[in-house]
Amino acid sequence: MLLLAATTGCIHVYQPMAGFHGPVVVDPQARNFGDLSLTVVCERGDLLTAAEARTLCQHVGTLFEQQGAVVTTTTSESGAGEFEFEEPAVPGEEEAPPPATDLTLELTSRELHKANDPVSWVLFFISATVVPAVTETSFAVDVTIKDESGFVLVADSLQGRLVRRMGVGAWGTNFLLDSFLREDADRITGDAAHQDLSDDLYGQLGQLLFNAKMQWQVLSQAAAAPSLPGAPP
Amino acid sequence: MIEAIILWLGLLVFVSPKDPAPGLLHSKNEARNLECERLSVEEASRAHPGDVAPPGPRGDYYARSALVCTERLVRPGLRDARDEAILSTLDARSSELAAAADALRPELQGATWLVETYYPDPQVAAKIGFATKNALVFQGLRVSDRTPLLGAGDVQVITRMTPSDAYAAACRRYADNGSLGPDDVLLGVVSLDPRETALHAGLCQQGTWTWLR
Repeated sequence: MLLLAATTGCIHVYQPMAGFHGPVVVDPQARNFGDLSLTVVCERGDLLTAAEARTLCQHVGTLFEQQGAVVTTTTSESGAGEFEFEEPAVPGEEEAPPPATDLTLELTSRELHKANDPVSWVLFFISATVVPAVTETSFAVDVTIKDESGFVLVADSLQGRLVRRMGVGAWGTNFLLDSFLREDADRITGDAAHQDLSDDLYGQLGQLLFNAKMQWQVLSQAAAAPSLPGAPP
Repeated sequence: MIEAIILWLGLLVFVSPKDPAPGLLHSKNEARNLECERLSVEEASRAHPGDVAPPGPRGDYYARSALVCTERLVRPGLRDARDEAILSTLDARSSELAAAADALRPELQGATWLVETYYPDPQVAAKIGFATKNALVFQGLRVSDRTPLLGAGDVQVITRMTPSDAYAAACRRYADNGSLGPDDVLLGVVSLDPRETALHAGLCQQGTWTWLR
């Protein structure tokens, strides 16, 4: 009974590995993407079910709609190339053509590594869950932003890890530290891991999309301008 | 009671595996100050032979891998976020710009390349310019430290233009006033918006400005 009760106490910790914790300059409250037509494609695959991919797309869509973009969200099977357009809905038309879009943001998530430390499990049981049992997942979110012709403007891979520590030792100690010692921003129990991951992901997506928008505008100017003397056609 | 808590914490710290994730030993800020990558045991033992034991001749008893983390040179928050984004990846960015300029205009290999940086912070602008010149030299191009000049009147007019017009106008004036000769090429490295963390590049040759990226 004690073991059963203790194993229910687990904490999830998020650690950015690369890309997730880069500097973000864009203010998500500002109108950064006024009149930009954006399609967000979320691929379901290793880590995301269809429902989770749809939820992610909805959240990302809302994020950019709040910043002035006109957003269409779709989900697709990883590598299948078949898109399922979900919004905006067109009443009365079952097979509407894909809407015209300025930029397309593709999100793909994949598992990099999964570990379940057997030594920690042995110690976990010997110590009556005082020593935490540790499992972890490293993952990558691949972000690709293309223009209407399919030209890749920005491509980046955000990598992070989620560590689960189980047992009364890990949970109790962190609960005490969160309650009495740590500041709000440093707390790790409760929903902090998911909150931190969401903050990082949405911040980076905003920054990457803004960089892509600027790149798109510059390349549009380049296409319209006369070529340099002596330049190849 | 206090002794029991200290004993408890000591036991946990002693038996917990080394992990850079936030927890008992590391705060969130400390964890965010690291850049990490997941390596196979073979790669990790080659790169860090003292820290990661190589796999046994008959393999390991269970699947192992290594999380290799390096501390950032400058702690988060010390520099302005935009400057930090540019400077922390400056080597890669400048190499990318120089490679793009060289690849897109191979007929300019014999020209003399000048670099001008348009970035609000002069110290950061100087670093971007220096890195870009180095990258151009690395491409095998002839690079000059000379800076093309504009007259005071030109500057007054050009600074009132929109960015899309200003670079083209400045380029025309460089050619007209002789700052840029027929064998000179100016690579302009530009930050167009205070909200972006990317750099753009344009070429000025014989009075014509063209955006490269």
